[in-house]
Amino acid sequence: MADEHNAEWYENTFKRMIYWVGGVLIAGTAITYAIDKWGVAEKFGLLTAVIFGLTVATIKAATVIVIFMHLKWDWKFKTISLTLISTVLFFIGMMWLTVGSEVKTYESNDGKPGRIDNTWKHGEHAIGINKPAEIEPPKE
Amino acid sequence: MEIPYNSTARPDTGLYNGKVGIWLFLASEVMLFGALFSAYVLLRVGAEPGNWSMGLMSKEVGAFNTLILIASSATIVLAWVSLKLKDWNGYRKWKIATVVFASMFLIVKWGYEWPAKFTHYDVTFVDDKAAETVFAEVLNKDSYNDECQKHHKEIWSARYNIDGKDWGSVDTKDKPLDGYIVGYYTENENGEREHHKVGQAFGIYFWSHAFAWRHDKRNDGRTTGAKRDTFREKGVVAVEIEPAHGTWDKHTDKHALVTDRRYAKAGDGQASDAGGHGHAITIETSQISRVSSYEPAHSTFFAVYYTLTGLHALHVFGGILVMLYHLMPISRRMYESDPDRFTNRIEITGLFWHFVDLVWIFLFPILYLF
Repeated sequence: MADEHNAEWYENTFKRMIYWVGGVLIAGTAITYAIDKWGVAEKFGLLTAVIFGLTVATIKAATVIVIFMHLKWDWKFKTISLTLISTVLFFIGMMWLTVGSEVKTYESNDGKPGRIDNTWKHGEHAIGINKPAEIEPPKE
Repeated sequence: MEIPYNSTARPDTGLYNGKVGIWLFLASEVMLFGALFSAYVLLRVGAEPGNWSMGLMSKEVGAFNTLILIASSATIVLAWVSLKLKDWNGYRKWKIATVVFASMFLIVKWGYEWPAKFTHYDVTFVDDKAAETVFAEVLNKDSYNDECQKHHKEIWSARYNIDGKDWGSVDTKDKPLDGYIVGYYTENENGEREHHKVGQAFGIYFWSHAFAWRHDKRNDGRTTGAKRDTFREKGVVAVEIEPAHGTWDKHTDKHALVTDRRYAKAGDGQASDAGGHGHAITIETSQISRVSSYEPAHSTFFAVYYTLTGLHALHVFGGILVMLYHLMPISRRMYESDPDRFTNRIEITGLFWHFVDLVWIFLFPILYLF
């Protein structure tokens, strides 16, 4: 740990945190299970159920990462990691400025992969410019 | 030569060497599981109607395993805290508890959940007429009438299509009947039928001698390139199926067998439906297009399920081996010679274990619930 703690802190504070986090994890599991049994997907749709389930899972995961994996106190490591992640996000953002503007979106895309060929082709956005020559099928 | 920052943290990063290593390893693990989770999302979104069979999972078993893993995650931190407090006995106690929880997880997964799936079958049919005849019999109705369809829709939707929207777009023949193989028929040289019972394996109620059997109509007539086909190997002309309890019997007047009577006891000569309790039905092989247990080849969902849970279970297994090593006398000697370094090792093991827990936290809702 970056922040050093004494024995008393481990005995009194940290142990209590562990039990709290354990309680949150058990409660999260119980709530997700109960809501599923209650039939959230049938009543409010599958998407709502998925969003709910993954939100609870994310909260559970966050408590594990922050307390059990003690990132709360590893502030130097946290800073370094966030900086590295930020550079990746910045890179993706900059790439999106160039590539993203050329990706053609289809209104008719029903969201199922493989149904529609939406492969990006260079120059396709500029209608009439750099358009590949159309090849006529051979006559029988 | 002494390696720097083996036990103490580097001032600039706040991390000792081992901790840098484990975080780099966990980053690679995130990429590995991230790729599989992405594959899951794409396969699920692209699944044809009625083909995402996650309704077949036992939610109770999934929830139980989640609680076990949560408990192990808490005990492993407590083990590390004990070492911070210079309490070896406390460490041993919590570490053993962690190993016990982890082992329970694997016993449930590999000893119950998976084998139970390999003896649970889905049957689909060659045409709608054959399917309707079978479903009418299973639901104890005179014909595949409106009432029968209503019950069938209820059962099918809960398992294959939670909002019931796809009912009309899937043929009746492709809506599976699920259950257990309790017997089968073959024909001898004189054309007479011989009945064969399928009993329990090893006296375990959820293990049947019909373990991962397969039959696919598409194999008929194939001489080369055919997949393994148990029906063809055994010459099965008809199969006795007992529809899954708690599912199909809810809408019938017939009573289900208690689970431990599901299979005839091997070699005792008792028919599986002896005493009139059973609800086994006989289906001709000619009516069946496919028989598959809930093995990876069953469907895309189960292929993904076994890949994800299998990889996760391997991580659990690896974690158990490391934790057992940390309970051996050699580890005690290391603790006595360099307590800080040993405490760091336990912290690192804990970080790995929490990651394993994290993966399961997401696997539980996406594979079992929603």
